Amino acid sequence: MKIDKKEKAVVVIGSGPGGAQVAYQLTKQGIPVVLLEAGRRIMKEEYVNEEWPAFSQMAWLDKRTMSGNARIVKDFNGLPTWLVKAVGGTATHWAGATPRFLDYEWKTKSTYGSVDGATLMDWPIDGKEMKPYYVKAEDAIGSTHRGGRPPLPANNNYKVFAEGAKRVGYKFYATGPYGTNAAPYDGRPASIQDGFNFQGDKNGSKWNPNVSEIPKALATGKLELRTNSQAVQITTDSSGKADGVLYMDTKTKALHRQEAKVICVAGNSIETPRLFLMSASSRFPNGLANSSDQVGRNYMRHLTGSVYATFDKPVNFFRGETMAGFLADEVKHNPKRGFVGGYYLETLALGPSFLGAFLDPGKWGKKFADMMDGYQNMAGMWIVGEDMPQANNRITLGSAKDAFGLPAPNVHFDDHPNDTAMRNHAYEKGEAIYKAVGATQTYRVTPYPHTHNLGSMRMSAKAKDGVVDKWGRCHDVKNLFVSDGSVMTTGAACNPTLTITALAIRQGEYLADQLKKGNV
Amino acid sequence: MKITRRELLISAGSLLAYSQLGSLANAEVNIAAQPGDQEMIASMCKALYPHDRFPMSIYMDVAAGAIKKGNADTGAKISFRAGLDGLKINKFDKMNFKKQTKYLKSIENTPFFGLVRGHTVVALYDHKEVHKIFGYQGASFDKGGYKDGEYNDLSWLPEPRIEEHPDLTAFLDDSSPKKYASLKIKKTF
Ligand SMILES: Cc1cc2nc3c(=O)[nH]c(=O)nc-3n(C[C@H](O)[C@H](O)[C@H](O)COP(=O)(O)OP(=O)(O)OC[C@H]3O[C@@H](n4cnc5c(N)ncnc54)[C@H](O)[C@@H]3O)c2cc1C
Repeated sequence: MKIDKKEKAVVVIGSGPGGAQVAYQLTKQGIPVVLLEAGRRIMKEEYVNEEWPAFSQMAWLDKRTMSGNARIVKDFNGLPTWLVKAVGGTATHWAGATPRFLDYEWKTKSTYGSVDGATLMDWPIDGKEMKPYYVKAEDAIGSTHRGGRPPLPANNNYKVFAEGAKRVGYKFYATGPYGTNAAPYDGRPASIQDGFNFQGDKNGSKWNPNVSEIPKALATGKLELRTNSQAVQITTDSSGKADGVLYMDTKTKALHRQEAKVICVAGNSIETPRLFLMSASSRFPNGLANSSDQVGRNYMRHLTGSVYATFDKPVNFFRGETMAGFLADEVKHNPKRGFVGGYYLETLALGPSFLGAFLDPGKWGKKFADMMDGYQNMAGMWIVGEDMPQANNRITLGSAKDAFGLPAPNVHFDDHPNDTAMRNHAYEKGEAIYKAVGATQTYRVTPYPHTHNLGSMRMSAKAKDGVVDKWGRCHDVKNLFVSDGSVMTTGAACNPTLTITALAIRQGEYLADQLKKGNV
Repeated sequence: MKITRRELLISAGSLLAYSQLGSLANAEVNIAAQPGDQEMIASMCKALYPHDRFPMSIYMDVAAGAIKKGNADTGAKISFRAGLDGLKINKFDKMNFKKQTKYLKSIENTPFFGLVRGHTVVALYDHKEVHKIFGYQGASFDKGGYKDGEYNDLSWLPEPRIEEHPDLTAFLDDSSPKKYASLKIKKTF
């Protein structure tokens, strides 16, 4: 469908899990949508099963700067995140782990109490309200182990992980829930254990919006997908309502304007606040919808870290699904461990190309080379846990400019002592798992560039405490919504995409209803 | 531009240098153009990431890439030339491994070291022959994926359970905010 730029349209910005889901929910109900996506559409035939070429094919590499005490600032300055600029968003890269929030993770302030230096806050929604949306989200993604869908089989990496976990005394391990089909589902085939989930998945067994919500929304005839179209400013009318989006053709650099009646922003936790800050005006001098001064603050990236181990026998951990291995035993809040919140351990395999870059950034010498040399006998796992929101972990507009002359975002990130305590605990447990099955060498790996980006547009009950209300609608601008993981008040221990999807389905249904009633 | 972008990720702090790598052409004075220069850089690459299993030809390939970068612009050239001179004067290639490591430590903060190390860690472990030596098979899509008996051929451990534990749902559902708020916090920071 073609929508005139002068027509006051519903405009969605960003086609990742958040934006694509909202666009699909609206178009499904007959509401026309313009979807602006900064990247291009890469079809699965084009995906490359090699780590660096695939990375350069789709990664968001526009200029960014960094500050803060987290090691990532030194290791990967200029590349704080690992995000995708393409239709389907970062889910083109995503592995597929789909756990849910626990009930108290919606209410961390009342559960954990005050934690020095952290800006914990309760979400204005709870587990009970979200439950039906989680079911819808699992069905949308096709999570294994849920809705009667079968589990994926054990690959070699999982065998080491599960047996080690068992010997340590853990019991909550399984090959999912995971967003890649074990059996054909929703028009997509079963996994052929060809790995390369992070590179897009050529087989199309992995869920991502580019193979699901986007084609479905296009099939309604109500979607106009505009690729290579990067939003650079949201404009407002004299009443303070959003009335249009200025966007740039990233190829020709021509600037366009789309008139809008409703705007949903889903550019992920750096680009979304950046767009709001770039939309400052005399009416909104600190940035759009920023009377609370919360736009860009409380940025989270999850705990993260990895443990790799080598054994005296082959593992060949690169074969099969990238992350189909889960352990939930450490997820529960148990302050006796010396920190609040909890974490999951999940299997993870990298090829030698990525492993060399991420195993120990900046390191060289015999110990490093010896670890790499054990590649064939290696197993690996990833730590994902709740990190503390902090007011100064923050996205701002820096003085540097990107290639388009726009202010590049600066990402400030300090580790909170709770994050460090939890990471150390997880390292120990991860090593214990591998030692229980005979590891000869273990390696603690520092966080990679952030794959989970959360919280910079936090959801709050009161306008003074956050940016958006419980529907993701801006407290200050009533026809402006945020539809991605940046709304997360706190991040919980679990991988975020299932929750982003659940929130987007809920928001899409709400917005469709409001539009039909003429309330926006 | 592909090489440039991949190095972007790796080279902590030297993004700018790498993003200007596009203009390699027409360098008038090329450094590391003497006989033996590539071998010298290769010996440094090997001392940085020593693998007895790798033939010297792999390190020579890696060294060639590093030299190309050393010629990328004037800034790179002058620091690369100085670094290479240092290796030559000290007969780096004739030192034993322990001495080499000590020497590399002493120049660790130079741009020359940063360039060679940053390049080596990416180029070496991305090298097709290294993948072969490591037993990394990479892409399998064209062959229909990894087959049953391949992706799960590990036989030195028992077959694990793949389903969730029957108690998992109850474990996760038992998460009422009220109950968990009653746990006392023991702060260690
Ligand atoms: C390697 C890797 C593995 C991962 N594994 C998992 C996992 O196992 N489980 C899990 O839950 N999550 C995982 N994730 C995280 C997951 O990919 C993200 O949580 C998810 O994609 C976020 O969705 P989003 O819609 O908020 O943002 P994104 O998916 O990042 O989409 C944002 C989109 O908006 C576009 N955009 C940005 N700014 C603009 C603009 N100004 N104008 C127009 N378009 C714009 C971008 O190009 C992009 O396409 C992984 C991520 C990575 C990198």
